[in-house]
Amino acid sequence: MRFIVCVKQVPESNDLKIDPNANRVLKKGVSTIINFFDQFVLEEASKIRKEGDEIIAISMGDSETKSTLMRCLALGADKAILLNDEKFLESDTFGTSNILAAALKKIGDYDIIFCGNSSLDTGSGQVGPEIAERLDLPQVTYTESIENVEIGKIKIKVQTDEGYSIIESELPLVIAGIPPSYYQPSIPPLPKIIAAQKKPFEVWNAEDIKGDKSKFGSAGSLIKIIKLYKPPKREQGIVITDEPKAAIEKLMELLNKDKVI
Amino acid sequence: MIEFTEEQKLIKQSVSEFAQRKIAPIALEMEKNKEIPQDVIKGMAELGLLACTADPAYGGSGLNAVTAGVIAEELAKGDCTGSTCVFYLVQAAWGFLLNKYGTEEAKKEIFPKATAGDWFLGIATTESGGGTDVVGGKTNIKKDGDFFIVNGEKMYISGVREAATNGGGHITIAHQTPELGSRGMTVFYLPLTAEGITPTYIEDLGREGISCGGFSIDNVKIPKHYILGEENKGFYIIHEGYEYARALIAVICAAAGLKSLENGMNYAKERKVFGQPLAKFQEINFRLAEHYTKLEMLKRLGYEALRAIDLEQEGKGNRFETSKIVAMAKMFASDWACEAINDALQWQGAFGYSRECPDQAAWRAVRSFSLAEGTREVMKMIVARELLGKELISYK
Repeated sequence: MRFIVCVKQVPESNDLKIDPNANRVLKKGVSTIINFFDQFVLEEASKIRKEGDEIIAISMGDSETKSTLMRCLALGADKAILLNDEKFLESDTFGTSNILAAALKKIGDYDIIFCGNSSLDTGSGQVGPEIAERLDLPQVTYTESIENVEIGKIKIKVQTDEGYSIIESELPLVIAGIPPSYYQPSIPPLPKIIAAQKKPFEVWNAEDIKGDKSKFGSAGSLIKIIKLYKPPKREQGIVITDEPKAAIEKLMELLNKDKVI
Repeated sequence: MIEFTEEQKLIKQSVSEFAQRKIAPIALEMEKNKEIPQDVIKGMAELGLLACTADPAYGGSGLNAVTAGVIAEELAKGDCTGSTCVFYLVQAAWGFLLNKYGTEEAKKEIFPKATAGDWFLGIATTESGGGTDVVGGKTNIKKDGDFFIVNGEKMYISGVREAATNGGGHITIAHQTPELGSRGMTVFYLPLTAEGITPTYIEDLGREGISCGGFSIDNVKIPKHYILGEENKGFYIIHEGYEYARALIAVICAAAGLKSLENGMNYAKERKVFGQPLAKFQEINFRLAEHYTKLEMLKRLGYEALRAIDLEQEGKGNRFETSKIVAMAKMFASDWACEAINDALQWQGAFGYSRECPDQAAWRAVRSFSLAEGTREVMKMIVARELLGKELISYK
């Protein structure tokens, strides 16, 4: 089977900077990491892979994005593809999903397309579902784990407001994953980082992926950001460290005082 | 500044994640318990950090010196006590020497266990009568058929308990042909579990997660495959290990100092005095600028020193040029880092002087490095020797 994992490079959350003139998150000169949700789905893909299966990591971005894809190779992907072209610049989720869908069509023969449920920077959660729409595939969002997968069929555990559900689907499909609370991202060990340098790494531009170029980049984007800004810094809350009984009394007192209850 | 490769950037990120997630939260606890927890040692082994300079054929990662420096930097940022830094750097530097000069048999025996975190591979050259003056040591080694017999003692050695208890040993040096002085010394691996080794322990000022001590060596018999390089050429061989360790120490000191500056800076930005943030006072922001500049210079010089080692291994460098740049990098490493950390403690007021403050542990750890692996004074002698020429060497 062939699994494709769509990944995004995002700024480290404690290092988020905004260009107020361009209304966008700055990526140059800030430390970046793989989107937390994307590493989770890559690890899920690695868990279900069997001998002969292939995992391809794909990302749209500039040359700096290479480090995120190299991390994917060190975490178990067999091949990485960087989608890099000036025509891709200023893409919103609509443009991004068009570009990714065109690249996925070029790869072809996929069984599962994995995406993180959302990204740590913009957090819209739209790219995965949009890819599914463009490729006319079933989609399952809020995936916590894959219970079972066999040729043409998959059983998935998804998070719901009430708990979780088990969903069955035919393949191929798009999965948007969200980790359980106990998830700790794996740290790639040195031997795998070293081995990753020898794995196939391709860079594709707009010509390579074909598709409708009018739907790429700013030309193909629908969202116009009026203003992008950081929320004001919140003051630290009150921490009650008393014994339970005294803590409850203090909490009730505070809630009453603020007329919350 | 050296531009890191993609591989080095990924290694840096991995080690940073490991150090911040697994070491930083328990660093002060390591000092209280006087040991590095097994899960941290095993974690370092699984990541491929231990004796990482050994060839992959023996279980190592085959890293070069600059990459070894990248790891040292991230460990120093995560471990305020410096304990895992010492545990790491000793095995990286002296693993390099064993990898280069050790016999096939010794490498196959020692590296798989050291890289797995089961054994500790240390360095033991200091004696109670002298450290950096290696020739002044009294330990001797004599050939006995296919074996060698060692007698003497070593003192102020890191990782004695780790090697004596869990297994492993130390690279050491002794006089084989005493009348030849520096030209009659031999380097070898000495297992601390051997019969005739009696360890003793010393309470160190800092980096208390790793033991410090000494051991007497009473008629210890070692096989000839434990000899590193040629007999009687040890004085020259040992300096390659020293230099590797010294360059790593420069990077560790810079990283530890910069981490404390960051802690002090964050505190000074938040803490208000006389109605304004502490950081607004010129006394603090000038000192911050000076320390930061010195430590960035130190870090860059440290990496240049590591690169000089790599170039020499690739046949593109010069032995004496490497010695000089390494000595330059280590000369003020401890002093500059200590000065910066001392100020960071001052900015943090009474908290800075408490045992809860990570920076006090960093100060105690970094203080050791003006002594360890060659004193500050000897670094000056090396640089002066290379500038003035051998005829004006101060120690001859």
